[in-house]
Amino acid sequence: MISIQNGSHLASTYCALAILKIVGYNLSNMDSESILTSMRSLQQPDGSFMPIHIGAERDLRFLYCAAAICFMLNNWNGMDREKAKEYILNCQSYDGGFGLTPGSESHGGATYCAIASLRLMGFIGDDCLSNASAPSSKANIQSLLDWSLQRQVADGGIQGRPNKPSDTCYAFWIGATMGTLGANKFIDEKALRSFLLTCQSECGGFGKFPQELPDLYHSYYGLAAFSILGEAGLKPLCLELGVTEAAATGL
Amino acid sequence: MASSGEDRRAWVPLGSLPEFADVTPLPQDDGPSPVVAIAYRDEFRETMDYFRSLYSSRELSPRSLLITTLAISFNPANYTVWQFRRQVLEALDADLTDELDFTERVAKGNAKNYQLWHHRRWVAEKLGSDAAYRELEFTRKIFYLDAKNYHAWSHRQWVLQALGGWENELDYCVQLLEEDVLNNSAWNQRYFVVTKSPLLGGLKAVRDSEVDYAIEAINMNPQNESPWRYLRGLYNDENDAWLNDSRVPSACLRVLKAKRNFKFALSTLLDLLCLGFKPNQEIRDAITSLRTPDSGEVGSDSDLAKSICSILGHEDPMRANYWTWRSSKLPQAAEV
Repeated sequence: MISIQNGSHLASTYCALAILKIVGYNLSNMDSESILTSMRSLQQPDGSFMPIHIGAERDLRFLYCAAAICFMLNNWNGMDREKAKEYILNCQSYDGGFGLTPGSESHGGATYCAIASLRLMGFIGDDCLSNASAPSSKANIQSLLDWSLQRQVADGGIQGRPNKPSDTCYAFWIGATMGTLGANKFIDEKALRSFLLTCQSECGGFGKFPQELPDLYHSYYGLAAFSILGEAGLKPLCLELGVTEAAATGL
Repeated sequence: MASSGEDRRAWVPLGSLPEFADVTPLPQDDGPSPVVAIAYRDEFRETMDYFRSLYSSRELSPRSLLITTLAISFNPANYTVWQFRRQVLEALDADLTDELDFTERVAKGNAKNYQLWHHRRWVAEKLGSDAAYRELEFTRKIFYLDAKNYHAWSHRQWVLQALGGWENELDYCVQLLEEDVLNNSAWNQRYFVVTKSPLLGGLKAVRDSEVDYAIEAINMNPQNESPWRYLRGLYNDENDAWLNDSRVPSACLRVLKAKRNFKFALSTLLDLLCLGFKPNQEIRDAITSLRTPDSGEVGSDSDLAKSICSILGHEDPMRANYWTWRSSKLPQAAEV
C-alpha cells in the first residue's frame, strides 16, 4: 500500500506527544529538530499560528498547541515567544476574558489557551495573584479574574460566555485557568461538584448538560475538573498541559 | 454524520460508475497494529478510497470535485479533503458563487464546523469586496437560528475588516440587542464596531452616547452582566475619564436604591473606590442601608470598600472567598 502525503498538523502533534508522555515514552528519543523547524514556519507575523502548511484558520488554539509542544520537547526554538505573547495579549477582550482571535468575544476555552500558553512560555509566575492589580504590559489579571469567576452560575456549573448555559467542559477550561493563576479557591467547589454530578450519565461518563448522553470530550473534561477539585482517587493534573503531573514530568 | 438513511438506500457504488472506471481505489493504510480502528460504513470507505486515489495522483478534474463533495457529505471535518477541493476549484477556474451556494448547503447541518468557515472565508477573499454584502447576509441567516454562533461572529468580523460593509453594523447590533439584551455576542460586536468602524470616528467620538446606551440597558436589567462589562470596557486604560464620568456612580446608586440585583453595581463602585473615587453621602447611605450585621461601619473610604466586599460576600455567596480576598487586597486608607 502506498501512504499518501499527509501534512503535519499542530493539534495532532500536540496530541501525539501528550499521548507518548502519558504512556511513559521518553521524548528525548524523538527527532525534535524537524518538528520545531516545521513549527517555526507556521508562526505568522502577528504571532499567531497556522496549524498546517497548506493553510487553515488561525487562532489561539494552535498557539497553545505550539507552546505545549515546545514545552514538552523542552526546546523553544520552534516559536518566537515574545510575538506569541503579543498575539495573546491582543486577544484579551474589553471585559477581561480572552477571545480566540483579536476582537472576538471572550470565551472560556480561548481563555484557557491564553493563560496556559503564557504559563508554559514562562510569562506567568507563581505569584500572579499578588500582582493582580499592578499595571503592566502583561494581561489585565484583575479583570480576567473577575470575568472568569462570574462564569460560575446559579446551578453551580460554569458557562463559557456570559448569559449562556453552563456546560461540563468549562469546569475544566475555567477551573484550570483559575488553578494556573492560583485562584481556584475562589470557585465554589461544592456547587461545581454538585452540578458536574448531574451531568454524569447512568451509563458512565459525562455529557455536556444534565440528561445529555455522554461523550469522550465531556467525560475527559468532567473527570479532569474533578481532579482539580481534589477528588479522592484521581491523580493531580499538570493544568497547562492537560495531562497528569506524573505524565508531564515523566515519572 | 451528514448522510441520512434515505441517502443509504440511494447509494450507488462508485466502482459501478463509468466516470470512475479507470480509477483504482486506494485503501487507508492504518499500519500493522491499528488502535481504536473505526468501523467505517461501506459507502464512507469506498468514497474515501476513491478520494485517496485521485488525491495522490493529484488529479484536478470535475470528477475530483465530485469526490470531494461526497467526502465532505460524509465527514465535513476532513481538512485534507477541503484543501484538495480548493486546489481543484482553482485548477478548474470554477465559478466561486456556486461555491458559496455549496457552503450554505453544508452549513445547514454543520454551522459550527471550522473547516466549513475557513473554506467560506477563502471563497469570499477570492471574490473580494463585492462579496461583502452576501457574507453579511449569510451570517445574518446563521444568527437567525443561533444568534451566538462563535464561528459566524468571527467570520462577520473578518468580512468587515477585509471586505468592508460597516454602514449598517451598529444598527444590526441594536436590532439584535432589542431581540435579546442578554446576547453577549451582540454586545461584543457593538464594542468591535464602535472601536474599529472607519465610519464612526473612533471610540472617543461615540463614547458619550455609548455610556448612555449601556446605562439604559443596566436600568432595565441590572442583573445582566453584559452592559456592565461593556460600560467598563468603554473606559479601558482611561481611569481618569472613568473616575470623572458621574453617570456611572449615579447608575450604580439607582440600582442600589432598588435593593435588588445589585451585585454588579457594588463591584463597579468597588472598582471606582480602588481607583480613588470619592463617593458622596447619598452613595454612602445607600451602601449603609444594604449592610449585613458583619459589614462594619462605613466611615472612611477604605471602610466603605471593606463594607462593600462584606455585603458582596452575602449578595454573591458563590464568590464569597473571592470577595474576602478582594477585601484583604484593598489599598490602605493611610495614603492621602
